[in-house]
Amino acid sequence: MAKDHLSGSLLANDLYFVLHNDRTGRMRLHPRVTGLGLAGAVLGELMLAGHITAGIAAGEVRLALVNTHPTGDPVTQKALDHIIAEPSHSFRTWLQFLGQSAPADVGSRMIQAGLLHPPARRSWLRAAPPPTPVDPNTAMWPIGRLNLAVERREPLNEQDNVLLGLVSAAGGARVVLWDQDPDYLAHATAALPVHLRELVAQTEAAVGDAVISRR
Amino acid sequence: MSVKQERPSAVSSALAKDRLGIPSVVFFVISAAAPLTVVAGSVSTAYAATDVVGVPLGFLLIGAILAIFAVGYVTMARHVVNAGAFYAYTAKGLGRPVGVATAWVALLAYNALQIGLYGAVGFAAEPLIKAWFGSSPPWWVIGLVFWAITGVLGLMRVDVNGKILAFLLITEIAVVLVFDFVGLLNPASVGFSLNVFNPGELFVGGLGAVIATCVASFSGFESSVVFAEETKDPRRTVPMATYISLAVISILYAFSAWAMTVPIGSDKIIQTAKELGPNLYFAAPKEHLGETIATIASVLFVTSIVAALIAFHNTISRYIFALGRERVLPAAFGHTSATGAPIVGSLTQTVIGVIVIIIYAIYDLDPFLQLFFVFGSFGGLGVLLMLAATSAAVIAYFIKTPNNENVWRTKIAPGLAFVLLLVVIALVMVNFDTVLGVPPDSVLRWILPAIFVVAIGFGLAWGAVLRARKPDVYATIGMGAQAAVKGIK
Repeated sequence: MAKDHLSGSLLANDLYFVLHNDRTGRMRLHPRVTGLGLAGAVLGELMLAGHITAGIAAGEVRLALVNTHPTGDPVTQKALDHIIAEPSHSFRTWLQFLGQSAPADVGSRMIQAGLLHPPARRSWLRAAPPPTPVDPNTAMWPIGRLNLAVERREPLNEQDNVLLGLVSAAGGARVVLWDQDPDYLAHATAALPVHLRELVAQTEAAVGDAVISRR
Repeated sequence: MSVKQERPSAVSSALAKDRLGIPSVVFFVISAAAPLTVVAGSVSTAYAATDVVGVPLGFLLIGAILAIFAVGYVTMARHVVNAGAFYAYTAKGLGRPVGVATAWVALLAYNALQIGLYGAVGFAAEPLIKAWFGSSPPWWVIGLVFWAITGVLGLMRVDVNGKILAFLLITEIAVVLVFDFVGLLNPASVGFSLNVFNPGELFVGGLGAVIATCVASFSGFESSVVFAEETKDPRRTVPMATYISLAVISILYAFSAWAMTVPIGSDKIIQTAKELGPNLYFAAPKEHLGETIATIASVLFVTSIVAALIAFHNTISRYIFALGRERVLPAAFGHTSATGAPIVGSLTQTVIGVIVIIIYAIYDLDPFLQLFFVFGSFGGLGVLLMLAATSAAVIAYFIKTPNNENVWRTKIAPGLAFVLLLVVIALVMVNFDTVLGVPPDSVLRWILPAIFVVAIGFGLAWGAVLRARKPDVYATIGMGAQAAVKGIK
């Protein structure tokens, strides 16, 4: 089950590439927004692999466990362990919580996988530079895939539909898409099953709250 | 089971690290209220424009009314969490069309308060520039410079850093207190007089005008509930921060307004305020503490106005953003920039600001009395309308919603606040000619309040249109960014 997704690219890795510059490795969006988007992608990987789903409990939207088999990947396993330990948090709490660590976690997974260069040492004068993509072409591929599909009005597969939804929820569509056809975007999200639609909506709401909150 | 509950939650403790305590919220709230701007700018103008000596008592009175209002307000905050507090509350309590009307009033009122500050900053910076460079450009050029700075910072999503804000605020308050004591140590020949706290000095012809100024001076205190989700313990932090802020602000303003009269004499304060304007505040300290201290205070006066400009700008652009996310305004208003700023909302506020500055420059209107004071009082009236509507909404909400709050919080205090606020609004309306500085028969005194009536009318109508044409948008009014979540069926 999980193997299927490991054979292709992982959702959070793809989103990481979309939200960071393909050569400098710098974030394209605000750090908090990037964190929330990647938190959505980590939960998305768990949903795509059938570990969790979204459900209503105690009057709020929460995550519900579907299967607790090992995910075979440290980032999603760490998230899944937290969800197993404390199942009573709301969906938005999970996004906020995972948003704190997701950029670093996904980044180190990509360093391990040889997709990113380990960051250069920080000097005492400057903050540590971000990890840079090993191959700019690989880094550009997720954005390219989305752009080609939007331009040709071709449907995306489920995982890329979620990717497109999360990019748009984070406010990144205007930054990375050549053509932001609202009908295409709406259609792509509508094609998703209900729990993945909820994932995109919750991420959009969390990003909105981050913009509204004063810090 | 109990063992499991006692184990600290990894999720909660990780999130708590990032959360605000009471002092942080108090700092945010008081700095939005901009104490030095009020004490140096509003108080002297209140004496001059209203002919009322009882200004200090006015601050205490409004502080007390707002504290009663706050009882129901912070109780509501425990039940309805939203970043656009006033309109979210009225939408929940009095129906979604009233929510839209409140949002329009909020946008008008906050814009007025923000734009009025461009006049104040021009006025406050002019003498400094003159002292340093020999001459100064007209106020509106200075206003445009700060307008540009505010606009750019708004797009870069720079909230003035919490630490800088705290530093400026503490220095501001220190200066205010030092100046107060300089006043107290140098009483005029009439000696100390507490007659500014005599009700007979407040309940006179110009009472409504004093109240409008006082309310405008408090605006910003309502932002405490907006932090509910960002605090360590919303049930405790938000109410405590609200009451502490109100107490600090009202006592500081009342004390300073009184101290200002001591070196001049309460019999001469009106006349002197008319002659000196906001310089009234800097006159006595300059004489007794020297040029340097007076200059530092003048610089802080400017930074205090700038902090308030940025705070109000961000409040407005986020309001617009939230309405865009709900699709009550077109969806474009809900867009964010790469920096995570509410880009269209921010630009909209910036455009409104420059239009007003240019109109005032063309017609050569006075930046202080006609821009800062008139816009400030107009905004104050709008805030009063929102406060009254919110009090009614609190009562209605708790009648409709099962809860275990006590009667004082859900009915008595908000009911009392509602009645008091209606009286206050009536008084302001009676004196609105004085507020504006126009003759009693001027149509302007009716036109400006009528703008709010029109806004409310349009709001209610737009709410009705949404209910008929776009029920999915109507359903999410007042939900802010959470409008994106339509719910799992």
